[in-house]
Amino acid sequence: MGTDRYAYQSRLRRVSPMPKLLLTAVVLAICLCCDSVAVGLFTLILMGVLITALGGLSPRVYLHFLKVPLIFLVIGCLTIVAGAYPAGTEMAAAIPVGDSLWGFTPDGLWLGGRIFCKALGAVGCMYFLSLNTPVTDLTMALEKLHVPKLLVELMELIYRFIFVLGSTAANIHTAQDSRLGYQGFRRSVSSLGMLSSMVFLRAWRKAERIYTALESRGYTGSLTTLTDAYRPGWGLLPLTALLGAGQVAIWFAEGRLLP
Amino acid sequence: MTTVTANKTVRAGAVLVGLLGLMTMSASAMHIAEGMLPVGWAIGWGAVCVPFLVAGFFAIKKKIDQAPRAKILLAMCGAFAFVLSALKIPSVSGSCSHPTGVGLGAILFGPLVMTVLGLIVLLFQALLLAHGGLTTLGANTFSMAIAGPIVSWLVYKLLRKANAPASVAVFAAAALGDLFTYVVTSVQLGVVNGGMVKFLTIFAVTQIPLAIAEGLLTVVIFNVLEKYSKSELTELRVL
Repeated sequence: MGTDRYAYQSRLRRVSPMPKLLLTAVVLAICLCCDSVAVGLFTLILMGVLITALGGLSPRVYLHFLKVPLIFLVIGCLTIVAGAYPAGTEMAAAIPVGDSLWGFTPDGLWLGGRIFCKALGAVGCMYFLSLNTPVTDLTMALEKLHVPKLLVELMELIYRFIFVLGSTAANIHTAQDSRLGYQGFRRSVSSLGMLSSMVFLRAWRKAERIYTALESRGYTGSLTTLTDAYRPGWGLLPLTALLGAGQVAIWFAEGRLLP
Repeated sequence: MTTVTANKTVRAGAVLVGLLGLMTMSASAMHIAEGMLPVGWAIGWGAVCVPFLVAGFFAIKKKIDQAPRAKILLAMCGAFAFVLSALKIPSVSGSCSHPTGVGLGAILFGPLVMTVLGLIVLLFQALLLAHGGLTTLGANTFSMAIAGPIVSWLVYKLLRKANAPASVAVFAAAALGDLFTYVVTSVQLGVVNGGMVKFLTIFAVTQIPLAIAEGLLTVVIFNVLEKYSKSELTELRVL
């Protein structure tokens, strides 16, 4: 599902999740704080390089993943940029509607572009984490960071069940679709409602069965697992410092070049 | 002179296409994407969520202490919420969107439990599907796992108290919870750079049909559940 498959194939898979988390957090924080076009693009490209060169993901797949949040970003930024202004405002592009002009001002475009680039950089950081770290490693890391045990356990269970229920839902959907269950609005709603409630029902029954199975094997309230043997990944620490320094340098350079 | 007017027409056309694109695309924009919020707002919304999350956490803890099997059931419910939000909901206008599951979750599990389950589901959506993001997790949690469910739950309880039929209560709870989630999202986006009215108008145009669709869907789900799993619903104290 989504990034999960690629995380397990990544070459950084065996590296301890801690340095990966640290790198993501530092680069993400600097990218957001700088709030500039150059830093955003720099982060996006460098993260792409890290994901493809260190993680071994093919660039085509990375570009495909970048397209996913693009829709959300474009809508958000367009809404910020587009607007109605009184007649006579200096516009980059506009259509007159009644007394006012609807369109983009140069300042608005600049603001939108800055948010867009910053967000793209942030998306790159997030992908570095999610395309190189399986969720099970991440939950282990969270436990080490003293996130309450109950929360971590719930996360682990939910993560497992997502796939169980997802395949159930997909099977039911195929069965309904092959019997023309999604022709027209009325039928779609009733099919989808049937599907959702059946998935809920099965989830409930499955949970009861899992609990019975666990209890018969000596379940006392928590599922404990051993951590994987990780490579320490010390190499990522100087890389983090280098990336952060690069971002800050670019930010200063941009400030100098653009008044 | 003619080139200038031609240029103007081209630009106006581009604006028009852009605005039209906005209408159809925002059908799927319920999450605030990664990096859209400035640092201050991202931290602020996260902080707002903390008391709700703590309350939800202790509510869940109490449930599990009373009955250990509640943990497995709650995890299944969380996974169900994730799977539900990954489904495509048909819309009246022909476009597709994903149900938020806000209303159903709030009615079935109560708003307190929903806060924690919602947080986990949103985190997985960000990591696995790139819907939402890590820095916007706080804002998304507030709109989709706190504000929306609370409204849905209040509407449902009030209507049931007023002796409204179950289907009406479920429809109103799901549709209003959905709408309120979008209102909160618009406010969160609009408050940063201004233009709250813009976000609200766009959402009003695109979300009202979707909210109605989600309301109808939730009623169908609820009817089937009532028919086939009355004992489970009684256990959840919904009926």
